[in-house]
Amino acid sequence: MLQPEERAGQDPLAALIGLDMDVAEPTDRAVKRLLPNVVKDDGAASLEFRQLTERSLRETKIGALRAAALDLDKDEIVLTPEGAKHWSMALNDVRLVLAERLDIRDEEDAEHVHLMQDWSQAEDVESYLALVYNFATWLQESLVQAMLQSLETRR
Amino acid sequence: MTLSVALGPDTQEGTRTGTAEATDSLTAPDIPWNLVIWNDPVNLMSYVSYVFQSYFGYSESKANKLMMEVHRKGRSIVAHGSKEQVERHAVAMHGFGLWATVEKASGGPGGNSGKSGGPGQGKGKRG
Repeated sequence: MLQPEERAGQDPLAALIGLDMDVAEPTDRAVKRLLPNVVKDDGAASLEFRQLTERSLRETKIGALRAAALDLDKDEIVLTPEGAKHWSMALNDVRLVLAERLDIRDEEDAEHVHLMQDWSQAEDVESYLALVYNFATWLQESLVQAMLQSLETRR
Repeated sequence: MTLSVALGPDTQEGTRTGTAEATDSLTAPDIPWNLVIWNDPVNLMSYVSYVFQSYFGYSESKANKLMMEVHRKGRSIVAHGSKEQVERHAVAMHGFGLWATVEKASGGPGGNSGKSGGPGQGKGKRG
């Protein structure tokens, strides 16, 4: 989803400095939420910004997701401050994508999805997605509370 | 934003910052761009506050005040600076998954009249 397309004939210098003249505003709502326009109501300025920044933004996001995925292979996960940051970012992106697929548009939708807590009631794709979303929400919230506490003790 | 199972941070309503401190940083005429964070129903209040504290180095009370402004008013100006500075912040915010945009300080609601200029200004090629 976030992996940029490999293209033949791409300018190697442009690729090296992260420039990408072929980017476009994403059509998939979830991808657009991950890689949003930087200027409201100005497609041209946003596109110019995408050409300069989108490739490295994708790499940042993929890096955090990969780091979290690698941790999942371990028997026991102990997070460093940097690892915790990657996990919180990865969980947030996962939640943003699930929220788009679940059509969460406002706080009311979010509350409705939040009601789904019982695995025995997961009968279709939507209710299963809602359970995964709620689990990821709980995990991220618990992690971020611990991160906030460690920020506090460092002050 | 959404408040999850664990308790969210205090809203710090009682310690609202006075106008003196706010105007100090908001009206500097040579700082014409704003970084705006928009509300969404997914990002956790705690996470938004964490990002404001860890990335910008804001105090807990300032971070929570800005976070609540995003939540209640739908948007908040969380940083100012040159176009390049706020754009760099915007990419970092997008990296964290926050919905950020940049705007001229004289532009949107809540902004102030810094250097006046037509809408076409400031879009020149960079680098």
